Amino acid sequence: MSEVPPTRMNQQVFKGKKKAAESGHKLLKKKADALKVKFRDYAKMIAETKGTMSTDATTAFFSLTQAEYAAGNFKQKVAEGTLTARVRVGAGIDNVAGVKLPVFTIYETGGPADNQSLGLIGGGKKVVQVRERFTVFLSQLIKLASLQTSFVTLDEAMKVTNRRVNALENVTIPKIQNVLDYIDRELDELEREDFTRLKLVQGKKEEVTVNVSDATNKMSKLDINQDKDITATFDAQDDEDVVF
Amino acid sequence: MSTPKGPHGGLSDFNIHHGFIEALIRGMRCSFLKDADYHHITQCENLEDVKLNLSETDYADAVADMTVLTPSDLQAAAIKKLVTEFKYVRTQAVEPLATFLDFITYEYMIENIMLLLKGALSGRDINELLAQCHPLGMFKDSTMRSIPTFEPNAKGFADLYQTVLVDTPVGPYFAMFLQESSNAMGGEVRNVIEEVEIEIIKSSLIKYWIEDFTQYVEKLGGETAEIMGDLLKVRADTNAINITLNSFGTPLNEPAMRASDRKRLYPAVGHLYPSGTSMLTDVATEEELGRVLSLFPQYASIWGVHAAGSDKSIDDAFYERDVMSLELAFESQMHFGVFYAYVKLKEQEIRNLVWITECILQAQKDEINKFVPVFSFHAPWRASASKAR
Repeated sequence: MSEVPPTRMNQQVFKGKKKAAESGHKLLKKKADALKVKFRDYAKMIAETKGTMSTDATTAFFSLTQAEYAAGNFKQKVAEGTLTARVRVGAGIDNVAGVKLPVFTIYETGGPADNQSLGLIGGGKKVVQVRERFTVFLSQLIKLASLQTSFVTLDEAMKVTNRRVNALENVTIPKIQNVLDYIDRELDELEREDFTRLKLVQGKKEEVTVNVSDATNKMSKLDINQDKDITATFDAQDDEDVVF
Repeated sequence: MSTPKGPHGGLSDFNIHHGFIEALIRGMRCSFLKDADYHHITQCENLEDVKLNLSETDYADAVADMTVLTPSDLQAAAIKKLVTEFKYVRTQAVEPLATFLDFITYEYMIENIMLLLKGALSGRDINELLAQCHPLGMFKDSTMRSIPTFEPNAKGFADLYQTVLVDTPVGPYFAMFLQESSNAMGGEVRNVIEEVEIEIIKSSLIKYWIEDFTQYVEKLGGETAEIMGDLLKVRADTNAINITLNSFGTPLNEPAMRASDRKRLYPAVGHLYPSGTSMLTDVATEEELGRVLSLFPQYASIWGVHAAGSDKSIDDAFYERDVMSLELAFESQMHFGVFYAYVKLKEQEIRNLVWITECILQAQKDEINKFVPVFSFHAPWRASASKAR
């Protein structure tokens, strides 16, 4: 701070800086609040999704057990089949207070459902059930993945924003304030110095004037004495004659 | 000893040839889990307890080596045990029982070959595939290994069929299937294997197997023809009904496909054949299926279970009926059906064990009793019979 020359111009500059920092702080604070609200929303949604997901998972896996009871072991048949995706995950972007959140969406590719005749000789209905349950489960999983990623991103963004808010609040603004105070102080000091200097000069000036007037007075008194008839004091006899 | 001629399964000469093996199988009846065992197992809180309980049953050796019991391990061990027993019986058997026992394994062979073919198409490792095969359906290792080695092109598949599949016991079924399909599709063998869904190929092969098995049983005659024939007929009907029911909502139910493809999957034997299956061909919805089945009293009640929409499914109803008829087949004497019944009942028992352990593992205690116990005194048909008395 000491590098800053305490000038009026710098004071103006720093006043501008302070104003900018304060408005920035205000905006960031708002953003942090918005993020916090969203963050809480997401946390709530995650909790809910996880709750339903656990039951979804249980029913899905149990339906698989039921299907295997009815249709025998069909896992390999599914694994050996031509695996074309019937469902894909698309990535989108959601914007919350300037933070880009990844959003995963499930979409059907419209690909043909393979293994349709699985369990033809027995248990086909159960296999269909497994398919349905796992589709539900998958969509839940994708939803959760989307939420969880958003949650992490939000968390990161919130941390950054909070750090910025705190930095502005506790470091940048006080620093600028300090500089301003310093400049103020220095300027005041300068002013006082100038004042005293002026005062001194004035004092001196006065002294000088006083002296001068005294001298003039004396002079004038002298003048008065001398002004009296000079010739009167002249004595012609005083001078010896000059003999060549 | 000359190969016996004439009808098999009769008081006169059955025991001379097959008495010992029948006795063996009957001895194995004790190995089935009892009502009390099921009761204990279903009460278990974790799989450790199940293991403890199983170690007091016939499965003691199977579970002894397991440090941690998992449903899939248990299933594998139980199947291995069943296969060991079956192989033992098979080595003791003389013709025509030996062929009969082989027939039982064909079903699993079909399954294995389908697995290998499909795995080969998607380029899987052969050892990995072999590990997944059903041990009862294993044939010569060299043959099995050569299945996936063929080039996936038209020539490769033709070679595969001509040199490998033809060699397997189920080769003739493939021949029939490929013949029929390429006639229908006018295509190459390769197209058939690649384009037709694995389940449909399997269903077709199973159909041929049932028909062939029935023929063989008819040829044997006597008690075997009567009892085993009935079991196979019921099996054929079950398949026909299930195929129809499960085809709803799939391309197989499209009007054009119904006559051309679905009809071909119905076995040409069974109580429903031919009038029932021809009616099933035109069925497009569940109601229509119900109407057709109401004409056949033995299936009307099973359909009733499905139509009632209770939490018992049609599969459960079929299992229950299967267990009943298999138990009855097991109880009667002087025929080969016992062996088939034994394998199938054991399979049901393994299914039950897997079900119970899965239920315990997944904490689904409410569902745990939804299995069909074997030789249970509480079976619905036994219970109602004793009430009637």
